[in-house]
Amino acid sequence: MSTQYYDIIIIGGGIVGSTIARELSRYDVRVAVLDKAAELPSGASRANSGMVHAGYDDKPGTVKAHFCPKGNEMYRNLYEELDFTLNKVGSYVCALAENEIPHLNLLLEQGRKNGVPSLEIISGDELRSREPNASKDIIAALWAPTGCIINNFEAVLAFMDNAQQNGVELFLETEVSDVLLSQDKRQVVGVNTNKGLFLSPIVINAAGVHSDEIAKKVGDESFVIHPRRGDYFITDKYVGNLVKSFFFPCPSEAGKGITVAPTADHNLLMGPTSIFQLDRDKTATTRDGLEQVIEGARRLIPSIPMNMAITTFAGLRADPDTGDFVINILKRPHGFVNVAGIKSPGFTSAPAIAQHIVERMKDELKDLVDFKPDKNFVPERKHIPRFAYLSMEERSALAKKDPRYAQIVCRCESVTEGQVVEAIRRGAKTVAAVKIWTRAGAGRCQGGFCGPRVIEILSRELNIPMEEVTRHGGHSRMLVGKTKEYWFREGM
Amino acid sequence: MSDIIVDVAVIGAGPAGIAAGVGAKEAGAEKVAIFERDWDLGGILQQCIHPGFGLHAFGEELTGPEYVHRWISKAREAGVEFWTNSMVFHMEDDGSFWIMNPSLGIKRVVSKSLVLAMGCRERPLGALGIPGTRPAGIYTAGTAQRLVNMEGYMPGNRVVILGSGDVGLIMARRMIWEGAEVLGVYEIMPWPGGLRRNIAQCLDDYGIPFYLEETVIEVHGKDRLEGVTVAKVDKNRNPIVGTEKFLGCDTLLLAVGLIPENELSRMANVEINPVTQGPIVNEFLQTTKPNIFAAGNVVIVYDLVDWVSMEGERAGRNAALFAAGKFKPGEKKIKVSGGDNVRLYSPQWLSGQSDATIYMRVTQPIEKSCKVVVEPGLYEKRLRYARPGEMNEAHVKLQDLQALGDVDEIVVDIKEV
Amino acid sequence: MSEERRIICTACPVGCFMIAKEENGHVVSISGNSCPRGEEYAKIEMTDPRRVFASTVRVEGGALLVCPVRSKEPVPKDKIFEITKAVAHVTVKAPLEIGQVIIKNVCDTGVDIVASRSLPTKQSVELVSQGG
Repeated sequence: MSTQYYDIIIIGGGIVGSTIARELSRYDVRVAVLDKAAELPSGASRANSGMVHAGYDDKPGTVKAHFCPKGNEMYRNLYEELDFTLNKVGSYVCALAENEIPHLNLLLEQGRKNGVPSLEIISGDELRSREPNASKDIIAALWAPTGCIINNFEAVLAFMDNAQQNGVELFLETEVSDVLLSQDKRQVVGVNTNKGLFLSPIVINAAGVHSDEIAKKVGDESFVIHPRRGDYFITDKYVGNLVKSFFFPCPSEAGKGITVAPTADHNLLMGPTSIFQLDRDKTATTRDGLEQVIEGARRLIPSIPMNMAITTFAGLRADPDTGDFVINILKRPHGFVNVAGIKSPGFTSAPAIAQHIVERMKDELKDLVDFKPDKNFVPERKHIPRFAYLSMEERSALAKKDPRYAQIVCRCESVTEGQVVEAIRRGAKTVAAVKIWTRAGAGRCQGGFCGPRVIEILSRELNIPMEEVTRHGGHSRMLVGKTKEYWFREGM
Repeated sequence: MSDIIVDVAVIGAGPAGIAAGVGAKEAGAEKVAIFERDWDLGGILQQCIHPGFGLHAFGEELTGPEYVHRWISKAREAGVEFWTNSMVFHMEDDGSFWIMNPSLGIKRVVSKSLVLAMGCRERPLGALGIPGTRPAGIYTAGTAQRLVNMEGYMPGNRVVILGSGDVGLIMARRMIWEGAEVLGVYEIMPWPGGLRRNIAQCLDDYGIPFYLEETVIEVHGKDRLEGVTVAKVDKNRNPIVGTEKFLGCDTLLLAVGLIPENELSRMANVEINPVTQGPIVNEFLQTTKPNIFAAGNVVIVYDLVDWVSMEGERAGRNAALFAAGKFKPGEKKIKVSGGDNVRLYSPQWLSGQSDATIYMRVTQPIEKSCKVVVEPGLYEKRLRYARPGEMNEAHVKLQDLQALGDVDEIVVDIKEV
Repeated sequence: MSEERRIICTACPVGCFMIAKEENGHVVSISGNSCPRGEEYAKIEMTDPRRVFASTVRVEGGALLVCPVRSKEPVPKDKIFEITKAVAHVTVKAPLEIGQVIIKNVCDTGVDIVASRSLPTKQSVELVSQGG
C-alpha cells in the first residue's frame, strides 16, 4: 500500500471537516480529507433537519452560544459565494400550554444575550394569521427571523467542492484505523487507513459520531460520544407549502423536539426523535420512532396528511458527554486537533468553528506548518446547474450547449443527464452520491424511474460494468448479474 | 425558437396516448401529435412481456409489446405524428407545454386541445414508513421488471415480494424463470391486490407461498439487503407481537400500489381528485380545464389495458371535436358520488349529454351475490362477487338520466343483494 | 379412482374458481366456470396443462441488450424450464421483426419461439432522436 505525505489531514468530511478544509484551502498547505463513506455528506451532516438555527437555544457563555449566531450570519453571507440553497424563512418555537410561556421568555432572553437579532414573542392568533395551518392549540410563539432552511447536502458539497478547487484532496471510502505518533508519543505523524498511510504533522479529528474513538487513539479520553438517533419523515412536495417557516415545539432535555419545516426543496420535513443507542453506524428507523414523529408533528400542524410521505430516514447526532462542543488543540501529542461533539446547533456553528480553529492553528501549530496565504485562492464556486429551478431561457441555452441537458433522467425532480454526468465528473461514484449532488431519485417515486438510468450512466461514465455500480459503496451493489446467467451454471 | 403548433396534442405514447391519437384522427383532427419521453413507443407495455393483454380489444391474448405494436400500427396508418425523446417537463395554465429533445433543444407546443396520458407510477418503500435500514436491493416490481425484461440485468437472487399487485405476481414468476428464488409474497390486506388468475399461474404453478394479512415490518442490512422481518397483522394492520419471522434475502420487490402521475396536470391547474389522485373528469374525459382531456391510468388505475385503450380512444375523439369547435358540453353538472362500499370511481361528474360509463372499485370485498347500482334507478347489474383488486363498471343511459329531470347528484355503489 | 381438483381459470382476467371431477382418468364434471372457455381450459388443465412461455433472448447490436420472445402457442407446463434453458442459450443479431421465429419447434414441442417486438439496431436509435 502507498504512503502519501500531507501537511494536514482531516478525518471526516462532514460539515465540520468540509468547512475546515475550505478554510485551510486559503493557505498554501497540502490538505487531505479522509472519509470512510463512499459519498459526502454521510453521517449527521447528511441526516438532519436542514436548519440554520438563529442561536437562542444555548445558554449564554457556552461554546455553542458563542458559535451558533456567528455561523448563522456566515451562512447568510456565504450561500451566494458558494452557491448552495438557503431559504431565509425564519423559525417559530411554539408554546402549546401556559406553562411553556416562561420557556419562550427564557429563550428570548438567551437569544438577546447571545446577540440574535430581531427576536419577538407573538400570539397564537398572530402566528395563525401568518401560518394558517398552525395548530389552534398554539398559544404563543417565539419568532426568530434569522432562522434559515438550508440544503445540507449542497452546503457540505459546496465547502468541499470549493476546497478541492483550491487544492484540497478528498479520499472517500478511506477509513482511519490508527493515528500514528512519534516514538516518544509527543508528536502526531499521520494516520493509517485501509488505503495506506497518510503522513502529516497535523491531524484534525472531525470524525463526528466516531470522534471519541479517534481521540482515544492518541490517548485523549476527555470526552465520550453518545450517538443519539433521530428519525424523520419527508413528504411529497404537494404538501410542502403547509408551512412557510420552521416550527419547533418548546425544547426539552432530550433536544429541540419534533419539528415541522419545508425543506430547501419544498418537501415537508418532520422529525427528529431523540433516542440514545449504542451502535454508531446503524441509521435504521424504528416503528416507535416514526410514530413519535407523526404524533409530534401533528401537535404543531394537525392537518399533515400521512399518505403523502415519500421517505423516512434516521440520522445519528454526535452527542458529547461534556454537554458542549469539544474544540481544542492538544498539547500532547502535538499536532492533534479535536473538533468533536459538534451536535446541534453544530451544522449552524461549523463555519464559525472552522474559522476559529484555523486561526488558532496558525498560532499554536505554526512550528509544524507554514500557513502562508495562497495567492490563487478562489472563494467562489458554482453548483451543478439546477435544471428544475432555471428559467426557460436558461434551460434552452444549456440544452443548446450540451444536448445532455435536454435529456431528463429523473422526472420527479426534473434532473437531466447533463447534471448527472457533471456530478460524476466532480467525484460522484455511487447512486447515493448522484442523488446527493443532483436530487435524482430524491422525489416522490424515490428512484423507481431514474434508478436504472442512473446505474447505466454511472457504468458508462466510470467505465465499469453495470453490476459494479453500488448504491453507497462497499457491498451495496445494485445488480447481481445479467439475466440468463443462471442457465449457464454447471449442472443446469 | 418557433413553437410547435398542432390541433390535438397527446402527452405520453403508452396505450392510453396511442389510442387517443387514433381516436383524434378518427374524429377528423388534422394534426395530431403524441409526445413521448422515451426513444421508443409503447410506454410500460414494452416491459410487460407476459401474455394477458388484448382479449377484449383483439379477441386474443397478446404480450404487452405485441398489444402495443398493433396500436402503433393503427396510429401510424391513421397519420398520427410521433415525437420520441421528447419529454414534456413543464405545462402552462392554458395547456400549452414545453418539451425537451436532445436534437431540438427546448420547444413550446401549442394545441387546440390535448389529452393527458402520462400513466401511473409505483408507490415506493418510503411511502409505507417501514422501519429499518436503507440498503441496496429494494426495488419496486416495475423497476425490477424493466431491469430484467428490457435491460437484461438481475436485481437479485433471493427475493421477497411485498404486496400482491399484478406486477409483483408477474415478477415472481419472471424471477423464477431467471433462476432466482422467491421466498414468498406478503400482502397486508386480507385479500389479494392483483387478479386471481395471476396468483394461479404465477405463484401456485411454482409453489411460491402467498401470505395474506402479513407484512414486512423491518428491513435489515447496511450495504446490500440482508433480510426482512415479516409478521402477521391484526384488523388494524398493526403487527402482532410474537409472530415476527426473519427471512434472509437480498432483494425486496414492492407491489404496493400505483399512483396516477399528475405533475403536469397540476402545473396546468387541472383539479385533482384526492382519492383517485387523478384529474376530475366528466363522461367525455374532459378535465376541469375545458381544452384538456385525460385518459387511462393517469385518471384512475385500471386492471386491463383494453379498457385503457378504449378510454384513450374516447378522450382522443372528444379532444378532436373540441379542437374543431364541435364539442359543447352544457352548463349542467351532475355530481357522481360513491356509496358506502365504493371509494374509487371515475368520472366524478356528468354533463348529462351522453351515455356514460362509470368505473369503480369496492372498498370491502363481497364474496357472494351482489349488485352494481347507480341510483336513483339508473343502472343495476348482478355480480357473482366484487373485489377491490378487480374493477367494475356501470353504464348510464342518457335517456334515463334525462327522464330523471332536475337531478344534481347520482350515487354509484356495489352492495349485497 | 376419482379425484377432485380446484382450478383457477386463467383463460381470461375474471379468474373463475372451478372444480373439476375426474374418474378413472376421465374428466366427468366441471363446475364454477362462467363461460365455455373455462370448461375447455379445465379439461386441458386436467389432462395436458399448458402455458404460454414469455421471456427474453440476448441480442447483439440491438437498441436493447435483450428482446422479448414468446411461445407462439401454449407449451406443456412441465417443459417450461427446459424451454427457459434453451432460450437462455440463444443470442440473436439485431434488427429483429415482431413475429420473427427465434427457435423453431422448441424442445420438440411443435411450438415456435418468436420475437414479440421489433427491435432496431443500436445505431439506428442513436441516429433518430427526433420525431415528426
